[in-house]
Amino acid sequence: MQSILLLLVVLPALGGLFSWYVGRDSERDRDIFNIALTALEFLVITMLFPMVYKGELNFVMADVMGTGLHLKLDLMRYVFVWLTSGVWFLTTVYSAQYLIKYKNRNRYYVFFMMTLASTIGFFLSENMLNMFTFFEVLSFTSYFLIIHDEDRYAHRAGMSYISMAVTGGLVMLLGIFILYDQTGTLNLTLAQEQMALLGDSKYVIGGLLIFGFGVKAAIVPLHVWLPKAHPAAPTPASAILSGILIKVGIFGILITSHILMSSDSLVGMVLVAIGLMGMFSGGFQALFQRNIKRILAYSSMSQAGYLVFAIGLGAMNAKYKGMALLAVLMHVINHGIFKVLLFMGAGIIYMILHELSLNAISGFGKNKKILKVIFFIGTLALIGFPGTGGYVSKTLIHETMTEVFHYYAPWVQVTMEVAFTLASAMTTAYMLKIFISVFMTDNPAFAGQYKEHVKKRALLPMAILSLGVLLVGLFPSPLIHTLEHGLEVFHAKPPDHLAYYSWKAIQSALITIALGSILYATFLRKRLRRAIGDKRIWINPTISWPQLEENVYLPVILKLSDIALWVFHRIDGVLLKSIVLVRFGLARVGNVDVSRLFELDWSRLDFTKQVKHTDIDVDELTESVKHTAAQAQQRVDKKVKDVVQKAHNRASSMTWALYMVASVLLLVLGWMLIRGM
Amino acid sequence: MLEKLGLLLPVLFPLVAAVLVSFKNLFSEKRVPTIAIGAVALNLVFLVIGLWQFGNQDIHIYKVNEFLDVFIHVDLLGMVFAYMIGILWLFTAVYAAGYMDHEKKQRQFFVFFLLTEGITLGIAFAGNLFSLYIFYELLTLSTFPLVIHAGTKEALESGKKYIAYSIVGATFVLMGMLLLYSCVPSLNFEPGGVGMALQDPTLLLVAYLSMFIGFGVKAALVPFHSWLPSAMVAPTPVSALLHAVAVVKSGIFALLRMTFFVFGPLVVAEIGAGNFVFGIILITVVLGSFLALHQINLKKRLAYSTISQLGYILLGIVLMSERAMAGSLIHLLNHAVIKITLFFCVGAITYQTGIKDIRKISGIGKKMPITMACFSIAAISLVGIPPSNGFVSKWFLGTGALASDSMLSTLVLLLSAFLTAGYLLPIIVGSFFTKPSDALQREGNLDPPAKMLAPIVILTVIIVVLGIFPNPIISLVESIASGVF
Repeated sequence: MQSILLLLVVLPALGGLFSWYVGRDSERDRDIFNIALTALEFLVITMLFPMVYKGELNFVMADVMGTGLHLKLDLMRYVFVWLTSGVWFLTTVYSAQYLIKYKNRNRYYVFFMMTLASTIGFFLSENMLNMFTFFEVLSFTSYFLIIHDEDRYAHRAGMSYISMAVTGGLVMLLGIFILYDQTGTLNLTLAQEQMALLGDSKYVIGGLLIFGFGVKAAIVPLHVWLPKAHPAAPTPASAILSGILIKVGIFGILITSHILMSSDSLVGMVLVAIGLMGMFSGGFQALFQRNIKRILAYSSMSQAGYLVFAIGLGAMNAKYKGMALLAVLMHVINHGIFKVLLFMGAGIIYMILHELSLNAISGFGKNKKILKVIFFIGTLALIGFPGTGGYVSKTLIHETMTEVFHYYAPWVQVTMEVAFTLASAMTTAYMLKIFISVFMTDNPAFAGQYKEHVKKRALLPMAILSLGVLLVGLFPSPLIHTLEHGLEVFHAKPPDHLAYYSWKAIQSALITIALGSILYATFLRKRLRRAIGDKRIWINPTISWPQLEENVYLPVILKLSDIALWVFHRIDGVLLKSIVLVRFGLARVGNVDVSRLFELDWSRLDFTKQVKHTDIDVDELTESVKHTAAQAQQRVDKKVKDVVQKAHNRASSMTWALYMVASVLLLVLGWMLIRGM
Repeated sequence: MLEKLGLLLPVLFPLVAAVLVSFKNLFSEKRVPTIAIGAVALNLVFLVIGLWQFGNQDIHIYKVNEFLDVFIHVDLLGMVFAYMIGILWLFTAVYAAGYMDHEKKQRQFFVFFLLTEGITLGIAFAGNLFSLYIFYELLTLSTFPLVIHAGTKEALESGKKYIAYSIVGATFVLMGMLLLYSCVPSLNFEPGGVGMALQDPTLLLVAYLSMFIGFGVKAALVPFHSWLPSAMVAPTPVSALLHAVAVVKSGIFALLRMTFFVFGPLVVAEIGAGNFVFGIILITVVLGSFLALHQINLKKRLAYSTISQLGYILLGIVLMSERAMAGSLIHLLNHAVIKITLFFCVGAITYQTGIKDIRKISGIGKKMPITMACFSIAAISLVGIPPSNGFVSKWFLGTGALASDSMLSTLVLLLSAFLTAGYLLPIIVGSFFTKPSDALQREGNLDPPAKMLAPIVILTVIIVVLGIFPNPIISLVESIASGVF
């Protein structure tokens, strides 16, 4: 029965390959096959719940991949796995409609399914090396999703993504090397015990691992790939990247800081700082963007910042660990649901108009009721409006922050409060920007309903997701109760009292949203729009600002590679020069004797002398003989010269080899003498 | 007598076959490739039977004294190497039969091809340093005609370079052997070293370094690497063989023999030989990768990549830990399989389209899907992305380096892995994720004929299987390594 865990990984992987085969004959069959496959995966995982609730499932296969395969499913992992399979199923349904105008759909589905397999495998891994394996496979398969369009923009984004991903992978591998060297185990639970015995080297290990996972979680300053890569992929893939694959990084950071590092408080503080930076810079950048998918991508970065922030809070103070981690799990679910929902909404618009810029699509949604409602629910959830899932998790994070910083000086408390509120206000502002310009602006060009473009199978997943958002928001207790059991793996006690809908919490959420609206009205509407003709269009002043990747990372890497290349060419050059020097020097020494030897022979071969001594009186004959002799001499000259040249060449290359050897022997002998032998 | 012949047959049979093939009136030119494939396949059977039935015996073919002694003895390491040669030679024979059918002088090619197999097996079977040296010298001579096969000026120049480097290297080896003979009772291979007297460490050091450089020439150690990229003028099956199996791996194999079976890890550590070569090897690893990054000729890029990958194996040798040695043995096998596949794929591209330039391969994956899919799998393995066999070797080398407290080597390994990704991934991406040029667009499916495609596909399957189920190989090399340490 335990081997069902292996099935969860193998099923989508083989199914993906098989779908390629199916899809060569019939696209329709392939779509049905893939939907059925993901539905089956989701169903199996859902049915596993009662078993997992009773106790964890383990699957061990000793003799594969060097260190064996160890899969484990406990309640904490179940949260991630269930979310992944559920979202994947809905996205596959959505893809069947969305992708119709794309090329190479068969290839897309293979990588889409492989990504699912490796994501599930990643969440299930108990062995660090297995985890790394799935992580790397994931990086590559998702890379192929990002560059699916094969255009310049996609390739540039993909380049940025894959170089970061490979770098992150290698840094992480270094961490795993050291982990294995220091603890002798790769099993997470065993490594936790061993890590506790280590000195400062555990910070090195933890730092390297968090760096590696942080690339996927887009923590500052490793986020540069995200705003490019997420919009570049086809929308279902963008949704997956933002909704699920960021969680891969989050899961890794969670495991590293709370299991491997046993909730070390120093790591916690660093994570809090990093998370805060992510919340801020993601939200700030999103304010300026005009591409709707890019706004959502920056928003994902900001939300990942919330998650890292909450993970850090849990590590800072053991007392509130349970509360913080509960908030993390909760927000993972919520963000997974509403971000996918929002991307799907943006995808519907792109499917019809092939435009993503707010200036081009403004007013599109004014009359589209279903889309408007769905997008509105997603927006509310993202800004944390009471009654949605986003509100519950953000309130939890906020509560934890207040409690953890309760012990600090008042100015720290106030700063944190202000920072948190500001970051959340920015969320409101950029979401209002999208919503108002797409759904609340008049634009006569988009009066039609475009119903023929949008089929039910595209809308149905979105409807389910928005229901989910509301359900979590209005009735959070069953979910919270389940998640509290999931905290056992961290040895964390669930919080005693939780009142989500206390007046205080609602008040603070509403204040944040009000602040965000003010930010939108005063800054975004006034400063980021310019009138052209009778229309007002959005502008993005940040395009001309210095970028981290273009102005810092790339120049540094290019400079370093130039320096390295220069050094290596120098080494190569000096080596070649010295060899050439020795070669010609020795050849010259050898040349003297060899040439003289041949010169002697040559003089004996002088033809003219022989002709002169012959006794023939007839002048003409002499003349003609002379003539022939001269010709012959020329020929012989040439021939002899050739012979000499050839012999010389041969001799010199032979002598060169010999002299090389001899001189090296001499050098060695001299060196031995100097060493006093 | 029969028993002795049974063991010697895998070495002798290819030589006999080569002589027979060279007779014009015995086989017509057309039948030569088929005969050669048959001979190599038969030889694989002989190899299996020979090692299985008659493997455990000592044969002194010609013994003058303890030094001048042609001695055959096959231990576990020799066996692994011999099987690797036997199997990969068969793939190359089939591939070459497909590849060479548009080239002239097939008879000449296959004669030396068979000769080389016998000689390389001789290296694997050699029971002492002197016999290994003899086969090693013969290898240079038998591969030389293969390098200059095209007969162009460029080929002759490269051949000259190849032979000059090889002879200089062999001379170093001879000098080292002579120096060494004065301090040891015999040069027969013993796991963990022959047990030499340590009264004269400097002499031992000079002997070791001299031999290291000598064998290092064949293993493309910087600064003796430049013959390898030049030798790329040879036909692709030869490049594949030279780079994956025969020549470079013989150099590595000889180094393994010398370090772990003649000197022994204790002596090498005592005389401090590692300090002298360590830096050179690290430079080899990085320099190979860096220069590969800047090659636009497909085969040259692979050649520089070989230099760097051989550096990995050398690194495993000088780190002097059981784990690192196991890593270098695993990488010896893995790199052989991976690199031969990569070369076969590149050869198939050139054979089908004439393209040698990396900038021109855009979209080729859509026209040669099977070939390029195999190339991609092999390339990803070489980068060392799990779950591929390349990762298994990287794992052992990396943890082995840390076990020897050498953080620097681990960092260099990872840096090189990054660069490897840098020079191989663009080929994959370019071939699958860009639009084909107009000339390519007009062509239909360009996958090569079955004779070339079959070896590529089977080798790729081997790569995948070795990646997911590496445990038999791991336990095998670990038993070799634990015998030494």
